[in-house]
Amino acid sequence: MEQEAILRKYKLRQRLIDLLPLAALAALFAILCITVQSKGYRLDMYLKIIFNEGVVLAVVATGAVFIYTLGSFDISLGASTLFSATLGVMTYNATGSLPLMILVIFGVAVGCSLLSSVLASVFHIPVFVTTVAMMSVLSAIAAQIITTNGGAVGGISIPSALVKPLDNMGFKIAVLAIFWLICFFVFDFTKIGRKQKFLGGNPVCAQLTGIQVNKYAIIAFVMAGIGVGLGAFLTLVYTPSVTATTAGSIGMNIIVAIVFGGMPISGGPRSRIYSALVGGFSYILLNNILKLVIDSNIGYGVSQIVSAVFFLAVVYVTGLNYRSQMLPR
Amino acid sequence: MKTPILEMKHIRKTFASTVALGDVDLNVYPGEIRGLIGENGSGKSTISSIAAGMQKADSGEMLYHGKTWTPGSMIEALSGGIGMIVQESGTIQGVSVAENMFLGETKQFPGPFGSIDRKAMNTKADEALRAIGIQNVSGATPMAALDFQTRKLVEIAKVVMKDPEILVVDETTTALSQEGRQILYDLMKRLRDEGKAVLFISHDLEEIMEVCDTLTVLRDGAIIRHFTKDEFDADQIRTSMIGRELQGDYYRSDFTPSHWNEVAVELRNVSFGEALEDVSITFRKGEIVGIGGLSHCGMHPLGKILFGAIRPDSGEVVTGSGVRITSETVAMRENFGYVSKDRDVESLSLTASIRDNIAIAGMERYAVNNFLMLSSREKVYVDKQIADLSIKCADRDQSVSQLSGGNKQKVVFGKWIGRGSEVLILDCPTRGVDIGVKRAMYQLMAELKKEGKSIIMISEEMPELMGMSDRLIIMKDGRITKEFERSADLSDTEIIKYMI
Amino acid sequence: MKKALALILALVMVLALAACGNSAPAASNDAPAAAGNDAPAANDKPIKIGVLVSDVSGEEALGFRAYYENYIAKNYNVTFTYTEQLEDAAAEKAAIEKFAAQGYDAILSLSASDRTTQIETCIANGLYYAVVSGMLDDAQFEQFKGEQYFVGQIGPSMDTEYEAGYAMGKHFADNGAKTVGIYGAFIPNPMHVYRTAGVLAGLGCTYGGASDKDGIAGQLFGDQGVNMEKLECGDVQVIGYFQGFGDTTFDELFAIVGQQPDAFLSVGMATTFFADALNGAKIPYSDIDSFTSGNAANMADGTLVYLAGKYSSSIGPIFAAVMNAVQGNPVRDAEGNALSISQSYLVATDSAAFDSIFNGDKGDSPIFSKDVLDTVIGAVSYDDFVKLVESK
Repeated sequence: MEQEAILRKYKLRQRLIDLLPLAALAALFAILCITVQSKGYRLDMYLKIIFNEGVVLAVVATGAVFIYTLGSFDISLGASTLFSATLGVMTYNATGSLPLMILVIFGVAVGCSLLSSVLASVFHIPVFVTTVAMMSVLSAIAAQIITTNGGAVGGISIPSALVKPLDNMGFKIAVLAIFWLICFFVFDFTKIGRKQKFLGGNPVCAQLTGIQVNKYAIIAFVMAGIGVGLGAFLTLVYTPSVTATTAGSIGMNIIVAIVFGGMPISGGPRSRIYSALVGGFSYILLNNILKLVIDSNIGYGVSQIVSAVFFLAVVYVTGLNYRSQMLPR
Repeated sequence: MKTPILEMKHIRKTFASTVALGDVDLNVYPGEIRGLIGENGSGKSTISSIAAGMQKADSGEMLYHGKTWTPGSMIEALSGGIGMIVQESGTIQGVSVAENMFLGETKQFPGPFGSIDRKAMNTKADEALRAIGIQNVSGATPMAALDFQTRKLVEIAKVVMKDPEILVVDETTTALSQEGRQILYDLMKRLRDEGKAVLFISHDLEEIMEVCDTLTVLRDGAIIRHFTKDEFDADQIRTSMIGRELQGDYYRSDFTPSHWNEVAVELRNVSFGEALEDVSITFRKGEIVGIGGLSHCGMHPLGKILFGAIRPDSGEVVTGSGVRITSETVAMRENFGYVSKDRDVESLSLTASIRDNIAIAGMERYAVNNFLMLSSREKVYVDKQIADLSIKCADRDQSVSQLSGGNKQKVVFGKWIGRGSEVLILDCPTRGVDIGVKRAMYQLMAELKKEGKSIIMISEEMPELMGMSDRLIIMKDGRITKEFERSADLSDTEIIKYMI
Repeated sequence: MKKALALILALVMVLALAACGNSAPAASNDAPAAAGNDAPAANDKPIKIGVLVSDVSGEEALGFRAYYENYIAKNYNVTFTYTEQLEDAAAEKAAIEKFAAQGYDAILSLSASDRTTQIETCIANGLYYAVVSGMLDDAQFEQFKGEQYFVGQIGPSMDTEYEAGYAMGKHFADNGAKTVGIYGAFIPNPMHVYRTAGVLAGLGCTYGGASDKDGIAGQLFGDQGVNMEKLECGDVQVIGYFQGFGDTTFDELFAIVGQQPDAFLSVGMATTFFADALNGAKIPYSDIDSFTSGNAANMADGTLVYLAGKYSSSIGPIFAAVMNAVQGNPVRDAEGNALSISQSYLVATDSAAFDSIFNGDKGDSPIFSKDVLDTVIGAVSYDDFVKLVESK
């Protein structure tokens, strides 16, 4: 009897903790709406801006969930977003062909991702290490291309009219929804996702269960590459130019988004595909709320500090769930 | 009546969804070796780990020599006089034996300029090792160079050199060979004779009856009964452990070897480093083949080679239908299953749920078109394994880390049996498992044999090898030294001759 | 069940976000009008200006900010809101859109990741826009000069940057320096590229055979710095070159200082990074920076011998132009084009010259004071602006 009561309480707690990221998103959304309204600002515009700020992060981070699930880490995602956008712009400027530009963006994004994972498996080093190298190489090459070709303007660009028609909510929502649903399907309804989660939990055991570690690492990186390609394309849709700093904050924001979404950074069986979406938008909402509430005259960085504290709190609370108490055997 | 060294009163402890201890009283007296026995999850490890400072009770009090005892950590408890040797290895691989033994206490060996006088530290470590009868290890040896058993012995020396008044030995003997066990037994007796106390936790009833002076049986977080030496009776102890009479046979009741004619898998002239030298064995369907020997005879790598997890230097593993097993993936495709000796690392993903662990190996069994994974079908599949194997759990979504050892092992079995494995490679399948679960597993193995599965049981426990195998293969130094047919006349002294 | 609930909630959230956002284009035309964009602002309602910044801590940036917030905001009915540090083009665009959502009237930009997108976004949202620091390139200016919401630009053009570098190089060559070290600051930042190109030309050097502005600058962009092997100099010898700021920067500096050059020429930031080292080593040095108290001390007590710089209130005229535009008095040239006036650097080679500029531009009595700016506020002509800017 007592056992059952304890069990019920425990399961309820688990469920509540699982729902926390969503509750946080809903709360942040409500707070933003109230704040914007009470200040007399245009809520419709604000929501559109926030969606635009969040959509690239959500797309890239959703792809990245596959990598994080493996307990791995790709620090080069921001750099490869920049790199593929750069080569995309160069391609358009050389050929004038939009389809070719899109092809190059995706090809380069997936290629960079594949290269990281294949190098890691060939040289038997942690894939994290190859992504660190990739990050330096890709951003250096991109910066070189941009500054040599950008000259005095400091950036390269495609004609803004080219993708302007796509710079609307309908298109972006469709892209996000389709990509997310595909990821959701692969992650939760195919053997691929299940094996990746298991692999993240215990690679040794996974190997001894016939799961080919390299194969699933490569699949994860390809998924992340597709996310990067989409992210790069959406970046160009929003601003048709690329500078050396484009997408610079994406790499870090992905980690934040995934954590805000309630997924353990160590990946494994508790990985959730919706973490990136929920966490990405939560993070952007939080930042905007802080900027609205905290007077910029107080000083730079105050909102970053508040957001960092919030981040630690989220890590602590979500950690309650998987920092499981274990029986001594 | 002597005054107890340690009195534990009304101890209560819960873990997440489980009551591990509910209001337990336990006294430990000087000059006794007290056995603690019970099924997995009965609370025996929990109570002793609370005494040794590894965790805190939710409520209750402890008195040590009449004074309140609230150790904040294992280190604090050890310096206070209660030391514990834990079930799983607690040593650090990257440093030397001496550094492990004096971890955090190297200041007692000051060298010039704030450095450590390694020579003095190594000498002291050597002394401590010799004092408990370990001859062949020196303090300067890197820990990583030692095998599992020797590491365990170092750990024992580390605790004993602090001269604890109460030594807690938790399930340590499963990791030790006969020789290692003897060292430990001698040590325990010495401590007892010095007027100290030992709390000895083991699943091995014979061992516990042999070694202990008194015995406490726990079940479901409560103390069931205390036995004194003259009251020791295997049947009575078992009954109090499980709370009911054991039904049916423990091992197989028949003594006639039998197998089907078809070959299941064959090892052909397999050699691997120094572990295996030119080993050839044919395993048939409907046969249980026991492989025994000392821990380093090569039988553990042999299990991995059979499953394709290790590539042999020469020779090959071929199935009855002629498929070469070259990787785990191929082995899985050929319906092989492998239960590792190192359960928590190699056979389970501890952070995952029971469902994840069972489902992962059997996806092709329930996936639609071997592709689409539907939660409803998966639940049916997993629930069947939970029911068939009577896995004691809150529900299928419970994390396996919260299960007791025996139930964890059942999950591993469910993972492989559920997918219909035709060849089961079981490496120490009953290690750290209580007798109730053990019996269930033996019965299951007999069942699988009848269905024509080929079972390869690698074990360090003589009784189960003799009790279950149709054929018993004994190995020594990477070679097969003897093959026994199943017989009622097998004697363990005869078998051990071929091991050492 | 739990998962299903979670999914539904997530979808609702995204859709809600999307739905609210989607209604924006339909409504966006009338709201800014209500905020007073198209009509002259009523006198009692302050003009709201958003300022885009990519540098939030440099001495020059702080000087500019203090001038706008502490002087202009007190003397005119206007408020300034600064952004956080803007990292890229997307951040710039989002910042502008947020100012629009908050009913702002105009944007002053000190951030240069993507000026084209900045201007297009301002036009789309009905915000006046002006470039405060740096200049558009010719093609960009051509593209937008006719736009109503593009107020224009007043500042050092790339030509001016080159000229500033050239004048500095020539100054040292004329004064008999035989050995010099050069710091290229943050090449490939275009401003630093053109200044460095100017310095090399001013010293009488050729770079990869080129001796003109575009020839040298083009190669510097390609090389991402100065390749010493391509450098051919006459009387003056360049004994060392470095750029950027990292772990080895001071080693590179000391390698040059150790050779005791006659002068150390920097195209930016040297007074921030190296002043103590150079003052201590008694090496005469120059920089293109701004007129600040720190530099006054470097010139009086240290070995800073040449400073080309902006002064904090040099951004006054562009504010006046924006104010005019918001109040319905746009300043356009004969063809109706936006302002484009090049503003040169002021140069000081001794403390007296420095102090006269520096003291003339103090917080409460800046060079472009209210009295001065008032001469171009209201209905004034393009030429009035040119005259004002060139007068200082």
